[in-house]
Amino acid sequence: MRKLMFPLVAVGLIIVLGLWSMRAGAQSQFGDANAEPAPFNPQMAAMMSMLIQPRHAKLGLAGQAENWPLAQYMLKELKQGFAITARSVPRWKGLPVPDLFDAAVSQPLTTLEYGIKLKYRQQFDEGFAKLTEGCNACHATTEHSFIVIKVPDASAFPNQSFQPKP
Amino acid sequence: MRSLVRIGRVAGWVLTATCLVCVSAWAGGQGFGDDDDNSEEEGPSYFGFVRDTKGGTVPDAKVTVSLKDRISIVTRTDALGTYKVPGFGKETDPNDVAVSCGKDGYKQLRVVRRPMSSKDPKIPIETECTLQPL
Repeated sequence: MRKLMFPLVAVGLIIVLGLWSMRAGAQSQFGDANAEPAPFNPQMAAMMSMLIQPRHAKLGLAGQAENWPLAQYMLKELKQGFAITARSVPRWKGLPVPDLFDAAVSQPLTTLEYGIKLKYRQQFDEGFAKLTEGCNACHATTEHSFIVIKVPDASAFPNQSFQPKP
Repeated sequence: MRSLVRIGRVAGWVLTATCLVCVSAWAGGQGFGDDDDNSEEEGPSYFGFVRDTKGGTVPDAKVTVSLKDRISIVTRTDALGTYKVPGFGKETDPNDVAVSCGKDGYKQLRVVRRPMSSKDPKIPIETECTLQPL
């Protein structure tokens, strides 16, 4: 009987551990469905994909179509996107995000603002090219030069017209 | 009967060990980024902007980061006008490290070190260098 004790204990332990691991497995790598909702705390990559990249594209498309009211609106949205991102992630990998944004985009944003106000396509294009350069310079500074932003050559928004309203 | 018990015992140990390894691996999850962070050993890095007197950033400026009487590292600012140099070791006092900058057609006007907001070694020592056109 004593000889059977160890195998019995081992089998019991296996069952307990098996159930425990099944529970852990059922919980999914994405979290526990029964947990309290956590505050949404998107990190830099998510902020860039949500607030910056689409607005940059829409601003470019609006300017190319010379849809100045939309360009004005998208410029404001893009600026707000940068402000929100800098407030949400003030430091990224130790680097000061507000200062990086300032160095990368402040000047081109001002150029763009005047281009839009004056409805002057050439100034808009220059400002937008500088803005895009700034994005890529910032990516290089933060060791993400493999993320290359460019002036949009097509719309990723099939449900939105960028042409000015007649 | 004896061999059956022995087989059961060995199987028990093997399965127990397997379960323990699996459970601990799942519980730990996986890391996401920052694996190459050596700031704990290297001490804080040195980062900053080189600007002109109008506040604009100066790309391709020469930046020298020197540890008192021992070592100097020369680098250049990138397209955004920033430089970054790794730490000299966690035992190094950042006050012993001096930053200077230069570029053809400019002279150094001032060097300002930002007060450290945190003792987190991941946060670099930030020094801004201003250049004045000659």
